[in-house]
Amino acid sequence: MLSFILRRLLIIIPMALLVVTLTWGLIRIAPGNFYSSEKKLPPAIEENIRKKYGLDKPWYQQYGIMIFNVVKLDFGNSLKYQGQSVNEIIGRHLPYSATIGILAYLLALVVGLSAGIIAALKQNSIWDYGSMALAMLGLSVPNFVFGPILVLFFALGLYWFPPARWGGFGNVVLPVITLSAIYAAYIARLTRAGMLEVMRSDYIRTARAKGLDEKTVLIKHALRGGIIPVVSFTGPALAGLLAGTVVVERVFAIPGLGNIFIQSVLNRDEPLTLGIVAFLSILIMIFNLAVDISYGFLDPRIRYE
Amino acid sequence: MAESRFGRSKILFTFIVLCSLSAGCLTSANSRYFGETTPPKDNILRYVSGGEIESLDPPVTNSQPDARIMFALYEGLVEIHPKTLEPIPGIAESWETGPDGTQYLFHLRKNAKFSNGDPITAKDFVYSFRRGFSPALASRNAYLGYYIKYSEAYNSDRSFVKDKSGNFLLKADLEPKKDGGQVTEPAAAQSTGFGADTEFNKYIKGPERLTVPSDKKERDALLAKDAKLSAAVQGKEFVPVKPEDIGVEAIDDYTFRLTLYQPAPFFLGLLSHQYFRVVPEKVIEKYGDQWTRTENIVTSGPFKLAVHRPYDVLKVVRDPNYWDAANVKLDGIEFYPLDEATTMMNLYKAGSVDALYNHTVPAAWFDEIKQFTAEYSLQPEVADEFYVINVKRPPMDNVKVRKAFALAIDRVSLAKFRKTLKPLVDMTPEGIFPKYEEVREKVYSEELKKQGSSLEEWKARIFEPEKARKLLTEAGFPVTPSGDGFACPSFPVDKVNITYNTAESNKAVAEFIQAQWKQNLGITVPLKNMEFRTYLPLLNKVDYDGFARKGWVGDYMDPYTFLSLYYSENNEGSTGWWDPKFDKMLDDANKTVDTQKRFEMLAKAELYVMQQQIIIPLGTNTTSWMKKPYVKGMYPNPGTLFPWKFVYIEPDPSKWTTDMDTIMKDDDPVVTAQLAQLTASQDAMERSKATKAE
Repeated sequence: MLSFILRRLLIIIPMALLVVTLTWGLIRIAPGNFYSSEKKLPPAIEENIRKKYGLDKPWYQQYGIMIFNVVKLDFGNSLKYQGQSVNEIIGRHLPYSATIGILAYLLALVVGLSAGIIAALKQNSIWDYGSMALAMLGLSVPNFVFGPILVLFFALGLYWFPPARWGGFGNVVLPVITLSAIYAAYIARLTRAGMLEVMRSDYIRTARAKGLDEKTVLIKHALRGGIIPVVSFTGPALAGLLAGTVVVERVFAIPGLGNIFIQSVLNRDEPLTLGIVAFLSILIMIFNLAVDISYGFLDPRIRYE
Repeated sequence: MAESRFGRSKILFTFIVLCSLSAGCLTSANSRYFGETTPPKDNILRYVSGGEIESLDPPVTNSQPDARIMFALYEGLVEIHPKTLEPIPGIAESWETGPDGTQYLFHLRKNAKFSNGDPITAKDFVYSFRRGFSPALASRNAYLGYYIKYSEAYNSDRSFVKDKSGNFLLKADLEPKKDGGQVTEPAAAQSTGFGADTEFNKYIKGPERLTVPSDKKERDALLAKDAKLSAAVQGKEFVPVKPEDIGVEAIDDYTFRLTLYQPAPFFLGLLSHQYFRVVPEKVIEKYGDQWTRTENIVTSGPFKLAVHRPYDVLKVVRDPNYWDAANVKLDGIEFYPLDEATTMMNLYKAGSVDALYNHTVPAAWFDEIKQFTAEYSLQPEVADEFYVINVKRPPMDNVKVRKAFALAIDRVSLAKFRKTLKPLVDMTPEGIFPKYEEVREKVYSEELKKQGSSLEEWKARIFEPEKARKLLTEAGFPVTPSGDGFACPSFPVDKVNITYNTAESNKAVAEFIQAQWKQNLGITVPLKNMEFRTYLPLLNKVDYDGFARKGWVGDYMDPYTFLSLYYSENNEGSTGWWDPKFDKMLDDANKTVDTQKRFEMLAKAELYVMQQQIIIPLGTNTTSWMKKPYVKGMYPNPGTLFPWKFVYIEPDPSKWTTDMDTIMKDDDPVVTAQLAQLTASQDAMERSKATKAE
């Protein structure tokens, strides 16, 4: 088990470097640069800028410097936001995305798991069809539609919540609901499918045959196996949520990492893009590892070599 | 199954009830104002300012949204007039222009202070100007100040050339001599005695020195191409141009002198740009690029920084150390860095913000919003939209073809379709430079008469499909009637495109124009859209076929900011067109001190370039922004820029703004009084000059 974890942790390093290299190459291929605007710059000014940021050096030298900095986990300063380091920017905006993301995922878990379990237990009933229909709706209505509809009703119609911006608890409600909808729907469907499959399996029949009461069968045996698909889904989903979601952040004007990430690409702010990509890839790999480890606790049949 | 159907219909029912319920709520707010309209209690303006600011270092910032925040935090020699954007006294309480138009003398106020209480003197301006041109700072705005003597040479790392006896090589030494005689040193005698006659002034008013690149590789490449230059610099020393060599001087603590290469009558208006605003030397030298952090920053404007949470809020509060703090009416301003149009409209409607920046009302909201005349402004801007033409590639190298395409667009319909655009057929936006437009009308009618045409004919260019077809036929691409419309089979459609950067509005305009050309010329020009930063290099290198979209926002309030786009061989016009004759027309105009005469010469230049039809003007941009009626002293001026100390919140509804269309003409006694007080010193200066002249 320990060697398994160590091996997986070590793989993260070359993987992250590979991701960073690919991103760096893609940014370099993309036309345009961070200082271009509709006003064409005199060549002398352009040269001053290129000198200041070391863009006048040959590409392999620039690549070497970049990789060296990444290994030190220091991505340097943003090109667009002068005097601000990439690490500082990520650290500053991560908490916003993380707050919204974690709350949304918790809400999605509560709603999704309960809906899924109920649907599975009362298969083919109105509960089943009702919750699955809602789940279908949640999956098919994109959040750039769902968010504004919520704003229209609850912020501009009933004046219950502010329409946007960061602030108190009231500011968090609408974005969290918007963000959680699709995840709740997904979790509900995964839970239902997982539970239905487990409920038909041999070991549940055995548990019942032993004379265990239905509650114990459900919670101790069925649920543990039934939510494995949900756990697999949680890893990447949570990593994605922590890193921010562009649409919700833009609709609700939340200063999260997702919007910054997109802006950094549009601004051709290379260090910032690389920093966020590296951070994101490491986060996803760690969460996947955590998911793999947790399988062992949920399903005794799974072993690590 | 019956059960499930019931389940669904129940959901649907709830949904309908909810919809009708909130629809009721929404329409009940049926009043003369849009949404919630209650003045904020704490006298703090909440302004949506656009994208997150790049930096709080004035010369480093670039965009209009950034400029608005800089205007609150920093002040320069001059400030802008809240309605006309013309220069009014800032830290300089008055100024004089030298007799030959190349020098300015600024008299600074004695009570101006930085936010940490340090006095602001002429030395601080000298430092701020020199720093702006420093190659290490690499400011993108440096070109704005290139009119200042030797600033470009310093910014682009060039050197003077000194011979063994210590004399510097002059630019005139290498120019072809007109009368064959040796160029002597006449300029020292030229010194006009404008301001104190210092050693520095003798040097800076002296004849222009020659400069060559400091970088050896670059210089050798240049010398290899130019034998004459090479011979002239042989065996001489290269002295890099230092910051001390540029044309800025502190005569004493409160007198600042600027020296330009040549007269630039618009230059005073440029000095309100954030690039020229004063920054604190001590703080910058102490903290380097970390000086703009909230804990370190020291500013010079009416407000100082209180909180900066990037992408969330930037809050400024009134600075008690500001020299005119008594006339700063707001206690503070919160700038929200938002650029999502729907989100900011929601915030505005809910009453969470008091004003929005320009071009923010989404097309879908336009019809609903335009009825709120007390809040919505649709005034012309010092900005226009046009298609540039690549004049180097056939068939667009033919001026007749270019004219045909320009004439085949119905600009009135275009303006109806794209509601925030006003029809335009000229190079400079309409309704922005009224004095210039008056002169231009006269010049055009005279010039056109000479050419056997008339002003009426010229003005008809707003839409002339008949003439367009005739011109295209003359150019060798016959247009023939076909079915309901026309056909032009011989036109090489594969050699032209309409290229534009991806945006909903650009796409709509391109499709509209495509349809116009199809209908009026029988030519379907393909559309090509591109992401902004991919599109820019294409435009700058003039590497597109046919047409490309371009917009231009003037840097200052003078038609030259639009005409200079096509000035010099390496111009930024993106058309590939260059004509030394046009350059000369502009140079001559700028050497003219008399405004009327200068405008006449500029108008001739504009006519000249428009007759080449290197661009297809589409329209003048309009402001299209909203403010709550209780926000006053904030005007829909052509740049959407505000001298923030004029802005105030009016709690009394009877004094609120009633019509944004007339607000520029209406008299607001509060603003008028403040303006009178502020401009008194400069008015006195001009009066005393006038009496002296008599």
